[in-house]
Amino acid sequence: MDVLKDKIELILPAKAEYVSVARLAVSGIASRMGMDIETIEDIKVAVSEVCSRLVDETIGTVPDYKAVFEVCPQSLSITIFSDNKKAEHVFGDVEDELVIPIIEALMDHTELTPSNGAIITMTKAIEGIRRDGE
Amino acid sequence: MSSEIKIIEEFSGETVSVAISGEIDIYTAPTLKEKLYALADNKKDMLIDCNDLGYIDSTGLGIFVGALKKTKLHGKSIKLVNLKDNIRKLFIITGLDKLFLID
Repeated sequence: MDVLKDKIELILPAKAEYVSVARLAVSGIASRMGMDIETIEDIKVAVSEVCSRLVDETIGTVPDYKAVFEVCPQSLSITIFSDNKKAEHVFGDVEDELVIPIIEALMDHTELTPSNGAIITMTKAIEGIRRDGE
Repeated sequence: MSSEIKIIEEFSGETVSVAISGEIDIYTAPTLKEKLYALADNKKDMLIDCNDLGYIDSTGLGIFVGALKKTKLHGKSIKLVNLKDNIRKLFIITGLDKLFLID
């Protein structure tokens, strides 16, 4: 377990037009950590996939959801909470079943329905950090 | 809001060229779906230029697959060109690079 350095919380309305805001936020945080463009793109897609499910009307409406970004020296972890929803509810009936494989392929560690009541925790490790601090 | 999409189509013989610019996510997906499905019904091969497409996720990939199914019903194909690395990566991860013609 990496040491927590900074924690950022973002609460967004469960509306499609704000999913891009989640992407912008995580993009800014990952960039601040010195991650390279390819890594940032991976994280953006993973976050966006979860948010997209939460604003999808077919899984029921919630007023908002929370994304918690934990900045650590060796990694960035993103945990998504929404009204005590569990992963199987959010991802259970995805028609194309592309979402979880995409997230797992793009992130280094993924935990569905972790013990803290969240839907998912996704972690990207330090490999994508720029070494020269440019 | 940065999440916008622009779709420009051009008909030429048996092919319709479609240039997509912007970002395809759950917000912009309905616009893409309506346009692309309508174009797929033209019974022409489709050439999709992704040069100015900056972002796509599974919502957009699903629409591409839906459009491909429609074109194949008419014996036509979809070819994707000028994919950015992050977008090409998603096609590979999902195995969709084997379904579409990608240049």
